[in-house]
Amino acid sequence: MTALAIKATRRGWFAWQLGALCAMPTVLSPAAPPVMQDAATHEQLAQQWRKAQPDDPMKALPAATGAVPAGQPGKDLLSQSDILCFGGMATLVPKRAILQLPKAMTGRTQFAAGSTLLGWAEFYARNRGWITTVEVSQLQAEGSVPLPEELTKRLLDQPNLVVATYLGGPISVLPIKRPSAAPTSQSESIKP
Amino acid sequence: MKLLVLRIAPLILAVGAPVSAQTAADYTNFIRQIQTPSGVQWDASVAATGAQLSQLGVDAAGSHFELWTVKTSPLTSYLLDTAYVGAYIPVASVTIHSEDPYGPIPRTRADRAFSAVIAVSGLLSGLTDPDSAKSVNLLRYVQSYGLGGTGVGIDRSQATLLSQASVTQNGTQTLSYALTSIPAGNRAKVSGEERFAVFSVAGYQAPVTQIASSYIQIWPVADGSLAGISQGQLIRFTLPQLTVTLNDLYPSSTTYVQAYQGDPQLGVVGKTLPGSVLVINDSIPQSRVLTLKDYDAVFDTEGRWTLELLTVTPFGTDRLAYVSFDIDRIIRVNTTLTTDE
Repeated sequence: MTALAIKATRRGWFAWQLGALCAMPTVLSPAAPPVMQDAATHEQLAQQWRKAQPDDPMKALPAATGAVPAGQPGKDLLSQSDILCFGGMATLVPKRAILQLPKAMTGRTQFAAGSTLLGWAEFYARNRGWITTVEVSQLQAEGSVPLPEELTKRLLDQPNLVVATYLGGPISVLPIKRPSAAPTSQSESIKP
Repeated sequence: MKLLVLRIAPLILAVGAPVSAQTAADYTNFIRQIQTPSGVQWDASVAATGAQLSQLGVDAAGSHFELWTVKTSPLTSYLLDTAYVGAYIPVASVTIHSEDPYGPIPRTRADRAFSAVIAVSGLLSGLTDPDSAKSVNLLRYVQSYGLGGTGVGIDRSQATLLSQASVTQNGTQTLSYALTSIPAGNRAKVSGEERFAVFSVAGYQAPVTQIASSYIQIWPVADGSLAGISQGQLIRFTLPQLTVTLNDLYPSSTTYVQAYQGDPQLGVVGKTLPGSVLVINDSIPQSRVLTLKDYDAVFDTEGRWTLELLTVTPFGTDRLAYVSFDIDRIIRVNTTLTTDE
């Protein structure tokens, strides 16, 4: 990159930065006026990048305190969800929200290509014929309180797919928490 | 336990912004509330815009709120925004800006600047206030998609922590970057994402938790070539077939070949070759090969001509390639008249 080109690039950047600061944070920064230029090359960008390194704005902030996570949590909504799909429509519910899955409906938990993805409320409204919902409490969802035995038995005979909901929204129901092992009692004679 | 007002308008509006080929029908939005520490997940069904109370109460240790958008072809989920609400946790937001107004995921190109706006509120400074309420940590991660990668299905736990800092005062900070720092052997061909995340400091009943995060996708600089006519070639008859090779065209771009008389000069507006205009309106870069023929009508005079391959993006117009040649279609007949006695 020639000195002139670098200067032009930096001038453009400063102009953008000024505009961006004025516009932030409510609107996106407008693009710079269309200027024709040759596409940037690796050599130009490598030089520009090296020059920009000392200007890292985070260096102006105090050092982080305490433990910081080394990496981002590997998040993906699909891996945290079960799919319900039927008749060209599909939706996602949290894992463990399906309380009962009849064998005949196993195929309805696979996404069929070309299906339209809907939010739960819309999907359920159109598929009430084969989906039954069971309202659970927060304590039942977190596994602190078991589902009523009568309900559990009834689910086994349920021909419909059963989804746990809290105030109408699908919710995961965690396994019942086992009480932590009681500490081993040790009788210890205290000698004076 | 307390209720939280879900103000989702700005987020959903960003999702639905009709700035690309992705229409509302292509993406479906979900909000998940995740309770801490139990991990119970609740699907908070929401309207496209508006505000509502979270019906599932926030536990003492807090709740995560995640805004996702899911594309059906291929079936892919994108985390657009997160928020964490807890009794002793400050509130933060991260907003990333670039010159490209595209939504739902902010994006820019390897040679362009971007900035992150970090807003923190609720920090306390009293002697008796818990550490978790006095500061938050700001972390910057980078992750390459690899050459030609699009980021679909990447493992974000493999992102590299590039820098970290502490924020101890309420307010807004703007972090401006001239270029991305995603590692790449060719800095013009960077393809990946940068993420800015705000984490809480561990405190009573509250482990280190991500309070807010946002990311920007960085796409490579396009390149291209014109084959079929060589530099300085003299063309006497029909113009040869032209092969236009285009690599990594920006997801929002218009690319074409133009011709004008004279030597190459940046900024000249010429005549567009028929069949050369390619409009890309997508979420990932595109590569194409075009074949142009029967474009002689553009060249209406003899002399030196230049062909330029241009791409117009939200960042301006870039010249990807050019070639100059001479046209001489005039047949000169030299004769000699002699007499013979």
